[in-house]
Amino acid sequence: MTRSGKQKAVKRVSYLLLALISVGVAFPILWLIITALKTYPEIYGYPITYYPHEITFEHFVEIGDMGFFKHFVNSIIVSGGTMLLSVMIGLFPAYAFSRYNFRGRGSLLASALLFQMFPMAVLLLPIFKILHAVSLLDTHLGLILAYLPFTTPITIVFLRSFFISVPKALEEAAVIDGCSLRQAFIRVILPVTLPGIAAVGIYTFLFSWAELMYAMSILVSDEIQNIPAFLSVFVGEYQTRWGPLFAGSIVSMLPPLVMFMLMQRYFIAGLTSGSVKG
Amino acid sequence: MQLRLQREERIAYQMVLPYVVAIVFLVVILLSSNIISSFRAADGGFTLKHYQSVLTDEAFPTILKNTFNWTFFSVLGQIGFGLIIALLLNNITRGETFFRSLIIILPWGTLDIVAGVMWKWMYNDLYGVINDILLNIGLINDYIPWLATPDMAMVSVIIANIWKGFVLAAMFFLARLKGIPQYLYEVAEIDGANMLQRFWSVTLPQLRTVFMSTLMLVIIWTINYFPLIYIMTGGGPGNGTETLVTYIYKLSFRFLEYEEAAAASNILFLIIMVIVAMFMYWINREEAE
Repeated sequence: MTRSGKQKAVKRVSYLLLALISVGVAFPILWLIITALKTYPEIYGYPITYYPHEITFEHFVEIGDMGFFKHFVNSIIVSGGTMLLSVMIGLFPAYAFSRYNFRGRGSLLASALLFQMFPMAVLLLPIFKILHAVSLLDTHLGLILAYLPFTTPITIVFLRSFFISVPKALEEAAVIDGCSLRQAFIRVILPVTLPGIAAVGIYTFLFSWAELMYAMSILVSDEIQNIPAFLSVFVGEYQTRWGPLFAGSIVSMLPPLVMFMLMQRYFIAGLTSGSVKG
Repeated sequence: MQLRLQREERIAYQMVLPYVVAIVFLVVILLSSNIISSFRAADGGFTLKHYQSVLTDEAFPTILKNTFNWTFFSVLGQIGFGLIIALLLNNITRGETFFRSLIIILPWGTLDIVAGVMWKWMYNDLYGVINDILLNIGLINDYIPWLATPDMAMVSVIIANIWKGFVLAAMFFLARLKGIPQYLYEVAEIDGANMLQRFWSVTLPQLRTVFMSTLMLVIIWTINYFPLIYIMTGGGPGNGTETLVTYIYKLSFRFLEYEEAAAASNILFLIIMVIVAMFMYWINREEAE
């Protein structure tokens, strides 16, 4: 076979395998959606049906009646809060680590990343105790504060790599033009790195959107619970109510999927340059 | 120049120190809280009782074994699958974004709890789709009670975990593959290397460093990963899928054995530290070469 013929064959096989893998990987999600659209008799029917013979939205209505919207809003509050605070806290250290030479930079960066080494499970109990001591258990603020030590190191790593990719000459030119360092940062650096900052923000948003262990330990009362904490209540029940559970699951996946779709370019670039080379 | 450097240094410290000091302070507080409660007796004195009770818990050897199996096979699957997908995605040009979105983003965008619930339902022995498919294509003659026996339950949660977690490895590998300079392949080709040889002599060596850092991240991530097991089996049946993390959670929030939980947390922490140290030594030696 000729060289280009061989390459074409490799390509064809790659496409075929990717198509097969895609089907396998997507199947669980597809199955989730199919099941959520079935009526109860069909969910528990035998033999299994591979598509809903009678499409119903009753499970979506039921999960709505159980106050799902409220939990959705709670999730937005927790994730939005975590995102904003993580970016605000991480921005300046990340900038300094990327731009300035100062004594002890390496060891300070290493200490800033300390928390990445800690399993969340190991710190759950002490964090729980502290939140209890300051009466922040069962509050959104408490959960947000519990997340920050875990999200800010990643924020710093990512943002630092984005700042590094911006030539220093850019802000030096601005300073020569009469900007102060602060102005140069706000007018020159921020706009250029905004996509990167957005990607980091989304990362922290999704982290707190999906996190389960802390959410279900810290948010106990129904009024306060975010989606993971709320859905975890179903799991503990003797008889799992699959219908509303699946309906809620599907709705909960929409924000992450939309964000991934919109931001995947920045996201993948940021993740890889930040964590592999950094 | 000297003046400017000093000025820069001052600004840098202003930006960095508040965060670093707060983080270090927090780490010290949290860790000492764990250490103190793990050694504190009911009367406030010093005791090794809590460690003793964790280490002599008759489930503990099983828990360690489970943690090892869970980690080893999940990591093997995630790294292997991730590598295959990265290589395939790197082979194609048109439609890469499409396949990447589908394969990588779907499992990643799925909430942990949703993944757990979804797989649990698919594994259901009567109404689960997995048994139905396997039966229809003739691979099995009878329904498998996936989550009902310890061994099968472990296999089941590992499969689900591979589905959920291969994304990280796939992305890291893909990014590195894209960074391999094309001329390396061209040189190898001029030297007469066939495709397999090019893979062996160019691709694999280029992946080496990424491979090790990814391996470290995935191992730590998997040891600490909690939601799938918690939702699908709750650590059961028996202690069949109980890992250190689910054990710690149970000790803390079900049995309210805070001191034992702190002791178990410290043991887990030590294990992680040993793994990190090993990898750091390995990676540093590799880089020094």
